[in-house]
Amino acid sequence: MIEYIARRLVQGAVVLFLVSLLTFFLINLAPGGPSSLIDFTTTTAELDARLKRFGLDRPVHERYVTWLTGALRGDLGTSINQGLPVSRLLAQRIQPTLVLGLTSLALAAVFGVALGLIAALQRDRWPDHLVSTISTLGMSVPNFWLGIVVIIIFAVNLGWLPASGSASIGRGFDLGDRVRHLVLPASVLAFSLMPNIVRVTRAAVLEMLASDFVRTARAKGLREFSVMLKHTMRNALVPVVAMLGLIATVLFSGSVVIESVFGWAGIGRLAIEAANGRDYPVILGVTLLAGAIVVLLNLIVDLLYAVIDPRIRHD
Amino acid sequence: MSIHRLALRLALAVALVAGAAGAAWAQQADTSAVLNLATNADPTLNPWTPGAVIESNLINTILFDQLTRYSPDDLTPVPALAVAWEAEEGGMSWVFELRQGVQWSDGAPFGAHDIAFTFNDVVLNADLGAQSASQFNTIERVEVIDDHTVRFVLKRPFSALPYYLASFAGIIPQHVLGDAENPLTVAEFNKGIPVTTGPFKVAEFVPGSFVRLEPNPLHWAGEPQLAGMIFRIIPDPNTQVAQALAGQLDVVTRLSPNVVASVEGSGRLEVLRQSQNLFFFVAPNHDDERFADVRVKQALLMAIDRQALIDALLDGFGEVATGPVAPMLGALYNDDVQTYAYDPEAAGALLDEAGWVRGADGVRAKDGQRLEFDMPTGQFGDLVPATLLVQQFWEDIGVIADVEIKEWNAYIQEVVLARNYEVTVAWWSMPPTADVAPYFSCSAANSGNNIPNYCSEELDALMDAGRAALTLDEQVEAYAAMQAFLAVELPYLYLWHPDILTAKSVALQGFPAITAATAFQHAVDWYVTR
Repeated sequence: MIEYIARRLVQGAVVLFLVSLLTFFLINLAPGGPSSLIDFTTTTAELDARLKRFGLDRPVHERYVTWLTGALRGDLGTSINQGLPVSRLLAQRIQPTLVLGLTSLALAAVFGVALGLIAALQRDRWPDHLVSTISTLGMSVPNFWLGIVVIIIFAVNLGWLPASGSASIGRGFDLGDRVRHLVLPASVLAFSLMPNIVRVTRAAVLEMLASDFVRTARAKGLREFSVMLKHTMRNALVPVVAMLGLIATVLFSGSVVIESVFGWAGIGRLAIEAANGRDYPVILGVTLLAGAIVVLLNLIVDLLYAVIDPRIRHD
Repeated sequence: MSIHRLALRLALAVALVAGAAGAAWAQQADTSAVLNLATNADPTLNPWTPGAVIESNLINTILFDQLTRYSPDDLTPVPALAVAWEAEEGGMSWVFELRQGVQWSDGAPFGAHDIAFTFNDVVLNADLGAQSASQFNTIERVEVIDDHTVRFVLKRPFSALPYYLASFAGIIPQHVLGDAENPLTVAEFNKGIPVTTGPFKVAEFVPGSFVRLEPNPLHWAGEPQLAGMIFRIIPDPNTQVAQALAGQLDVVTRLSPNVVASVEGSGRLEVLRQSQNLFFFVAPNHDDERFADVRVKQALLMAIDRQALIDALLDGFGEVATGPVAPMLGALYNDDVQTYAYDPEAAGALLDEAGWVRGADGVRAKDGQRLEFDMPTGQFGDLVPATLLVQQFWEDIGVIADVEIKEWNAYIQEVVLARNYEVTVAWWSMPPTADVAPYFSCSAANSGNNIPNYCSEELDALMDAGRAALTLDEQVEAYAAMQAFLAVELPYLYLWHPDILTAKSVALQGFPAITAATAFQHAVDWYVTR
């Protein structure tokens, strides 16, 4: 097992190296440049002075070697547009994203599995159709639109919840206040993540219900509760966990939109600001962080398989 | 009744009325109010740092006092950190007398050395590439005469200097930034708690969330009437409007015209139609010989229904431009110039006269060359739809524009800097002065802000006359002639001056309505009624 984990971590390091290489060259080949170096009034002379000051007048491969040497020592460089170390920016922004992402994931998992189970047990009846409609809506309604709509309903018209931000300013830490700020963005993000979980849960439960061991369990006279929990759900969870692993990776892309609409100071917004502003070191930092999280999550999901299904071994 | 007694009674009455008014104000103003504003990204708290633009300008205007600021009445420069100024040597230098007793927010004394540092070591230091430095390229150096007097030595006359010094030209502290290798990139200053001279100072900066300001008790005009301000960082303009409607924002600048009705309908907010010396244009690249004949440019302008553009793109919030100078400049604006009403038939006739006649395919051509232009545009604001509308108007008169949409920074690099275009739609925003030389002079062609690469010695002479004119009357005369010339020769095809829309709480008072920059320069006078 330890050998397996070590092997996967080495593979992960190679993946991250390739990600950094690809990202570095792609963003440098893209048209435009860092927004802090250029605006409408910038003259050629001003631009030249700024490019030189940030070392952007050197060839791309030279800059990559400089960046990689620094990154291996733990220095991810300095944001061109913000003037702050990239590691500091990432550290500032990771916690809000984790809070939002994990809350959304938990909501999506709980409601997704529950709705998927209901849909499977009530197959082809109205609850199944209702769940299917909700899932279709979740999958097809864009996040930014839904975000604005819930802000208008719950913040502007009803005044129940705050429209934006992660906490009231100047109040210090107040759990209730944080939760109130979390409700809208987490719900919208969860709503868009949930359909995949519903679909996979429904399919897996239906497959298990038709399997021999469930029929055997029922024939043995086991109580339905036990059949569902110990025999059906435990086996149905393997694909669901795999799906959760995949969803966790797309959380980043979802949070990019949600964090902008709800003024949430997380990694997603940092990513979009950096991409729009061509802030090369920050784009690289965010991409590497996202890559590292994906590598780690995949490893965790693979390890979880073995816990849920003892037939899976990583030896 | 003796004269003496009458005077005493009158004085008493005046005192009573003034006292009553003061008491009414004291009852009205809520000094515990904290104002909530929005900005679209993390600001950079140094007005000269490259990239400190739209998200930083207004908060920096509050934090960093300038030598001058605009009068809320007529936009003429009025005292701020400088109390008086005059031109010397026929306009080749300007002497500014500084306000006495001004302190930085950390208690250090402010003085002439800070002005010299800001300009000599930062703005005029070409290696740093400071934001907007090109606006000050007529300044040779700043000399310290004594602790409270400085002299701006110029390369050539620049009568608009006091106007430009009021345009996002905040003074930064030498005692804090003087030793920095690059004073523009000190992170603790730009993204932390900077040392400032404005009526409010930074109390807290939470990246990605908000910047909280508190009153600066050391401010030269006394403490402001508010308990503080919070600039919330909200990237999405729709969310900004939703928050304002929900009562969580008191001021939203650069409002989209299509939300004006719902904002005004809320009852809590009012929308100010502010002006700015800003014009949108189609720039013809004068490296292209087809624009050597002014009739081509005049016909292209006549073929555009500019009022229709204003109605379609701005919901009517703007006015057709007769030149680069906006009517808001009052006496300096000349409305007696050649104008070009929408008339596609006359436009076609003018092109016929110039030898550009329709071919079998309907496209105009002359000597085998077609009247077809590369028209790149950038993804920013209304530029893309404006470009497409202009393309359609020109098609009606047999002129083809090949539109290519580019990413914004790429557009600036390829079109604005490299001049790799034939026609393009863009805009210039200028201080409220008729001095438009940075955008029209021969010295700014090819490498400066003269995007169309238009060069005319006659125009340069007219603009130089304006720059050398030190009295308003002289300036009015010089700039009237300049505007008449610009309207005939059309270095740019002038489109419109947009209204700048600002939503503000009806309870917020003392907020000058004339321009957004002016309102923020006078933040010390803002108060909220109970």
